[in-house]
Amino acid sequence: MTGAAAGSLRSPVPHGLPPMARSLTRVMALVVLVAVARCTAVSAAAPDYARDVRPVLERYCFECHTGDDANGGAVLDTRRPEEANAADRTVWLKVLRQVQGGVMPPADADQPTADERALIDRWIREAALKPDCSRGERPGRVTLRRLNRAEYDNTIRDLLGIDIHAAAEFPSDDVGYGFDSIGDVLSMPPVLFERALQAAERVSQAAISTGDVETAPVRTGKGGVLASQGEIGEAFPFPGSGEYVVRVLAWGDQAGDEPVKMVLRIDGADVETFEVRATERKPRDYEVKHRVEGGEHRVAVAFLNDYYNPDAPDPRRRDRNLHVGAITVVGPIGVLPDPLPEAHRLFFSRPVDPAADRETQGTQAREVLLPVVSRAYRRPATAGELDRLLGVYETARDQGESIQRAMQVALTAVLVSPSFLYRVEKDPPAGEVRDLDDFELASRLSYFLWSSMPDRELLAAALRHELHTPEQLVAQSQRMLADPKARALVDNFAGQWLQLRSLESFAPDRKRFPEFDDDLRRSMRRETEEFFARIVRQDRSIVEFLDADWSILDERLARHYGIDGVSGTEFRQVAVDRGARGGLLGQASILAVTSNPTRTSPVKRGKWILENLFAAPPPPPPPNVPELQDTGAQLTGTLRQRMEQHRVDPGCAGCHKLMDPLGFGLENYDAIGHWRTEDGGAPIDAGGEMPDGSRFNGPAELRAILLLRQDEFRRCLAEKLLTYALGRGLEWYDACAVERIASATAAGGDRFSVLVAEIVTSPAFRQREAPESR
Amino acid sequence: MSRPVLSRRTALRGVGTSLALPLLDCMAPLRTVAAAEGATAPKRVAFLYVPNGKHMQDWTPATTGADFPLSCILEPLADLRGKFSIHTGLAHDKAKANGDGPGDHARALATFLTGKQARKTAGADIRVGVSVDQLAAAHLGRRTRFSSLEIGTEGGGQSGSCDSGYSCVYSANIAWRSETQSVPKESNPRLIFDRLFAGGRPGESAEARARREKHELSILDFVQDEAKSLERRVGGADRRKLDEYFSAVRELERRMEETGRSGSDASHGFAQPAGIPESYQDHLRLLGDLLVLAFQTDSTRVSTFVFANEGSNRSYAFMGVPEGHHDLSHHGNDPAKQDKIRRINYFHVEQLAYLLRRLDAVREGEGTLLDNSMVLYGSGIGDGNRHNHNDLPILLAGGGGGTVKQGLHVEHPQDTPLTNLYLGMLDAIGCHVDRLGDSTGRIGVA
Repeated sequence: MTGAAAGSLRSPVPHGLPPMARSLTRVMALVVLVAVARCTAVSAAAPDYARDVRPVLERYCFECHTGDDANGGAVLDTRRPEEANAADRTVWLKVLRQVQGGVMPPADADQPTADERALIDRWIREAALKPDCSRGERPGRVTLRRLNRAEYDNTIRDLLGIDIHAAAEFPSDDVGYGFDSIGDVLSMPPVLFERALQAAERVSQAAISTGDVETAPVRTGKGGVLASQGEIGEAFPFPGSGEYVVRVLAWGDQAGDEPVKMVLRIDGADVETFEVRATERKPRDYEVKHRVEGGEHRVAVAFLNDYYNPDAPDPRRRDRNLHVGAITVVGPIGVLPDPLPEAHRLFFSRPVDPAADRETQGTQAREVLLPVVSRAYRRPATAGELDRLLGVYETARDQGESIQRAMQVALTAVLVSPSFLYRVEKDPPAGEVRDLDDFELASRLSYFLWSSMPDRELLAAALRHELHTPEQLVAQSQRMLADPKARALVDNFAGQWLQLRSLESFAPDRKRFPEFDDDLRRSMRRETEEFFARIVRQDRSIVEFLDADWSILDERLARHYGIDGVSGTEFRQVAVDRGARGGLLGQASILAVTSNPTRTSPVKRGKWILENLFAAPPPPPPPNVPELQDTGAQLTGTLRQRMEQHRVDPGCAGCHKLMDPLGFGLENYDAIGHWRTEDGGAPIDAGGEMPDGSRFNGPAELRAILLLRQDEFRRCLAEKLLTYALGRGLEWYDACAVERIASATAAGGDRFSVLVAEIVTSPAFRQREAPESR
Repeated sequence: MSRPVLSRRTALRGVGTSLALPLLDCMAPLRTVAAAEGATAPKRVAFLYVPNGKHMQDWTPATTGADFPLSCILEPLADLRGKFSIHTGLAHDKAKANGDGPGDHARALATFLTGKQARKTAGADIRVGVSVDQLAAAHLGRRTRFSSLEIGTEGGGQSGSCDSGYSCVYSANIAWRSETQSVPKESNPRLIFDRLFAGGRPGESAEARARREKHELSILDFVQDEAKSLERRVGGADRRKLDEYFSAVRELERRMEETGRSGSDASHGFAQPAGIPESYQDHLRLLGDLLVLAFQTDSTRVSTFVFANEGSNRSYAFMGVPEGHHDLSHHGNDPAKQDKIRRINYFHVEQLAYLLRRLDAVREGEGTLLDNSMVLYGSGIGDGNRHNHNDLPILLAGGGGGTVKQGLHVEHPQDTPLTNLYLGMLDAIGCHVDRLGDSTGRIGVA
């Protein structure tokens, strides 16, 4: 693979700054390897297996790892590294980990020298684990993906026009590879299925009106305790004139010689008086059906017979009180709302005739259900599926339900069926690769760019078998990026890639940062969201994420940044000083999510840069690092000095040498992203030295150094977006795709749409492999 | 007019915490399970987790055996002395790197109840082991509507990498149904309450409920047929995902049949809590109340409760500790920071004490609910400053149905697997398991 070499040729190296690639120290070389092992090779000649590697393995490993009885089943001597396959890779990865961790060879055996360990390490990474891109790109295989919470809500919205965010009550989705849309990680615990069933019922009731009391709109108000005279109640909206049920969950502390008495009032007029004999052990509902005109009315209950006798013989019968659990208004009853929900018309544009015979009704119901189910499953429903669903409908009818109610039940069934909750893709026969069909592609596109189901245009294109050509995929993706629904990329991709979602729980110390409040928090998040959105919408260069002379600010944030001339709460494009605020690293949102509540964290900032801009996970620790011992010695001095003492420990140095300088370069921003030149009276030292020896001082110079690594950034963004688009972690063989996508994006002027087009036309996006047999 | 306190409930509601949940009248238990099942009350077991270890110098009691002096972090438990024991010297070897590099926080939680080495992955092939609570649930859960209850103040990881190459699944989940499937915890008291006591649908009438459940059973049949027909078309990991689906559907089916037999699962008249309280302490206490209520009403006999996800950097500004918990735990031996970490530890133990007192206030037969429970409290990290996984802070409270001897500081030989203690706890509930994770024997608790 020629990534790094080609990359460094392509990227211009400005004069006056040290060229990176050539003068890497050994440590940095290792790090770069780890960092971009999937994407790049190192210029120095790789070690040769027969000449360099095998002798070392022979000396230290083969004694135990040969033949049928090889320890741990890891046979090493007969592997032919030049024909590495998936099984071999697993073994080599294991070897790598054992050697890195100092676990192998065991302590009582001969130990390889540090150079020999490094040799094995390097050969495994560069040769044994390297994909051969000349054989084309392997598409890989996405595990059956459950809709996550955002996708569920958006899909319901686009399927039925109902936007009730029912998934807010689902347990939060787990995160893998940085995203909450990974098939392997999204599971279906029992509590989730239960909540999905409840959500489906709520959605069905909102979609189809029956007029029954069970399904009439319900509004519940607060409860409370009445210890003496007084009222509990509030104003309720009554959407139209008609019959309503008012229900009061109540119980009493019983005392004296009569039960608790409660009167229900609407707009101050008594409607009904109840004797509340229920007690805490068994509260009950007291309800009345009443005709009410449309509009807002106060519904309240009052406690009529307060009683208090401290001398009563039974201490539990001295004080009479009324407890109200809740007041609920249900209705209007028996009337279909006007206008009907959009979805209702979807179901009954061709009505089912209640007067027709059973068979005719069944046929009609089937006709109603077919288009709905097909859209819900994002592909044509099969006859068998419709038959079974009709069974659910007819069972409900047989139990005496109305056509509307039975249709609600059928819709509920659709919304919890696996074909709705999961994105199903058929597997090819063992050992083969298949092209996804047009409908599967429609879903891949729509969930990638919209976090939702395909719209009518995509489904129509799929039905005509037109979607699978590269031209159509690109054309559709451009159309979709221009659609307002592409905002989902901001919420779900950018929100997670940049960790903006973590801003919600960031709680800086109010004493140190009195100016921080929820408005500022929102403005911070909004800036980065709008920044990302503008790059997508205007199809700008992705390099602007690293360096831009504009941002999107409101007055609050502009003041925070010390920029004049921006007034009001509207976010608008503002010219910024590139040195101070150019690109993501000058934005308060990112500077805050990488801080501790009371101070900045150069380590977290450095780690954030490595992980999210350069896809470089920290290198593994050197072998045989003992657990940290608490020597009892106190670390002293400035933050920088304490970090440096920390780094004396070889177990820490490997990572911190990389992370810390990057983070210290951002020390001019405090924990909420405010510019500063001193901290606690001492001047800020934002200088640093990269592992290759290049020096910088302050964010502007750091940014210049990072811009030299824009090839790595491009690959990083390609990796992140591909991961997000596919819903799986990238595998070793995906390095070929990432490299090609990144190169093509560069060639296409780094426009965001080019990156998307390269992804949607890649084999990984358009095809599917059979499961690997293990 | 001067009036006495209205009732316990009202009083508690009035003290400014947002407890919308009427606390139980301890003098008159609502539904004594003992009565329902004859003489013996059921045994319950709960596992409580706090992140980032403890400041061990202030946790470990100075002497062993009975009558050990309470260390300063343990002071909030003074009135519960005879009801809990401290176990020191226990370890989780499988939470160590063992060649997997950094990621101590993720491993600490993933290993805590499983005793297994979490496979290092950011997503594919997640694997650790079945957790002890789920083993207990498989044993005790058949007789209750919920086999277990998973709660915590936080949901899953929100974004990004959670800990050095480990998926957030590991750092956010404590309970594992299988080696590959975690059980998510719920954090919203309102939703937990509705699920436990109102079938998820507060305010629904009995007739409406009966009709709904009939339809639901037919829907559950339907979706199982759908899943079966899908199963034929997919392979590999997809199959496993469908298995999860099947098992979720079946569990709901079982509960509905169970409820059908036992009548209703009415809310016992408790008012629904409003949602997630603003204050962290209120949140912890409300979740604790729900745990107590779930045990008391025999809705479940097994629970896990995670005070905060592992590696939590939560600020404790409300008690004058504005720094992040994780940040502080790496105190570098700065006495001011050590003092603050001690205060956070103390705060968590206060919340534990609150929960234990609530359990102890519920009468059951001759004893209390606490006497019939075992509550384990601890962390998968020992000293937060070092990220070590030996000498863990572990506390076991409750009588386990009268069999567990408490009031001790038990010093185990260093590096004794914590899982040995779990096996002893499982024995005490009559669930005999040969091995769990890295266990090498069993520590009898009876």
